[in-house]
Amino acid sequence: MERFSDTNAIETMLRELRPAPRPEFIAELDGRTAAGFTHGDSRVRRVLNRLRAIPPRRILAPAAVGAVAVVAIATAVVSTTGEESAPATRANISEAIQPPPGLEEGLNSFGRTLPRGTEANEVSAASAALGHRAIERSARIALLADPEDVADDSAQVFAAVHDANGIVLRSNTTQGPAGRAGATFGLLIPSARLGDALAAISAIDEVGSRHDATADITAPTVAIGERLADSRAKVDSLLAQLASAETESEREAIESELRSERRRAAALEAQLSHLHRRTDYSHVSVRIETGDAPASSGGAWDFDDALGSAGHVLGVAAGVTLVGLAVLAPLAILALLAWLAHRTWLRIRREHALSRRV
Amino acid sequence: MEQALAAPAMEAPSDGDLAFEALYRSSRDDVYAYVAGLLRDRAAAEEVTAVTFERAYRKRARFDPRRGNGRAWVFGIARNAALDELRRRKRHAELAVDPADLDEPHAHEDAERRETRLLLAGALAELAPRERELVALKFFAGLSNAEVGAVVGISESNAGTRLHRVIEKLREACDGAL
Repeated sequence: MERFSDTNAIETMLRELRPAPRPEFIAELDGRTAAGFTHGDSRVRRVLNRLRAIPPRRILAPAAVGAVAVVAIATAVVSTTGEESAPATRANISEAIQPPPGLEEGLNSFGRTLPRGTEANEVSAASAALGHRAIERSARIALLADPEDVADDSAQVFAAVHDANGIVLRSNTTQGPAGRAGATFGLLIPSARLGDALAAISAIDEVGSRHDATADITAPTVAIGERLADSRAKVDSLLAQLASAETESEREAIESELRSERRRAAALEAQLSHLHRRTDYSHVSVRIETGDAPASSGGAWDFDDALGSAGHVLGVAAGVTLVGLAVLAPLAILALLAWLAHRTWLRIRREHALSRRV
Repeated sequence: MEQALAAPAMEAPSDGDLAFEALYRSSRDDVYAYVAGLLRDRAAAEEVTAVTFERAYRKRARFDPRRGNGRAWVFGIARNAALDELRRRKRHAELAVDPADLDEPHAHEDAERRETRLLLAGALAELAPRERELVALKFFAGLSNAEVGAVVGISESNAGTRLHRVIEKLREACDGAL
């Protein structure tokens, strides 16, 4: 028998051992290939197969267009929603005005505390007009004005306060360019005329924002009124005791107690007076702002407005994109890691299959 | 193959379809020979060969000629499909080279040469799958060392070295049996 002294001989013989496919199998495979391997496929599977056959670079452009469309739609939705919730005009220059602390507590106690006793008649006229409730009111108004109108608007604020018999606690007016020019006012307006005064101030210029607040202070008013009545009754009682005192030491003790009780009554009167003042007069804060942009009243939409709008849209688009990426990026990373892990695992398993004898 | 590809039957075949058809024609028998040599199971080899060309057809748009030639790409698909089949198998495979085939005397073949071929087939069956794969790629499918390296994932020189070792191993096994 021939020995394999030459590797060429063994290679030649190996080539002769090459397995050949059956003609029937070849014919069948030729047919399937000619049919595009679609035989027996469902319509969905055919569509999927056609999609899979699209080169990745041909998918990139439609995918990019789709992503841009999604961002544009989301931007439009967010912009529309944002405009609805924003103040009517130039929301960016009006600071957020929060309700004063304690307002909610006061309103919550509204139904629990009722005026009682003889001191109910000491509640101020304004409180009486509100059904014997002691209501403290306050308001904040931001007016939007052109820089050259600040002085005129300030004068009109003073006039409105004067007409309402109010008090200007403090004022500060600044002249200058847009953004720097402005004015602030701290006002005390008789509560009974607060509505008229606010209407007059609101008519001075465009209202950027307005906030009205109320606080029910009936409970402390009534409580202090009752304590004051008790104190006064005690003073009367001490005066009666003083009149009937027989010894010097007894008289001195009653006088001492009388002085103390009168001080207490005076303090209570001061507190009650302060509470009445809070209900009789309302604190009003007025702010005249000029912002960075020219007043829109009567002005045409110009290049700066266009730039501002474009910047706003770009900002929203960037925000939408950022939020989208923040949501999608972790998911994409997880999917990528899972895919890589699956590939690695599959490769290892396949190589392992080669290590087993079959 | 007389028929044109039917997927774009209503329109002119694209360049990709024509390229796939040419690739199919040139590598069909070689892929079968490689898979059959690796799996040593004719039925499984036919199934894996069909799966290979179906996958290649589906992925034909993703083939990038810059990353290698078409034959290496198809054999890469065939290798994955064959190894998946190998993983699934619980049973022992039949010999790819059926005794019936070996029993059929080749034209003008004498008895001694036929016995030598049987001896070599036996030695081949004793090889580890990893070694048998190299033989199948090189001598059954007719790939070059560079293509073998590309399919298996090793360098061309490494493929040549490993093939040489396998041939030596086969030669020693056959000589030892004589």
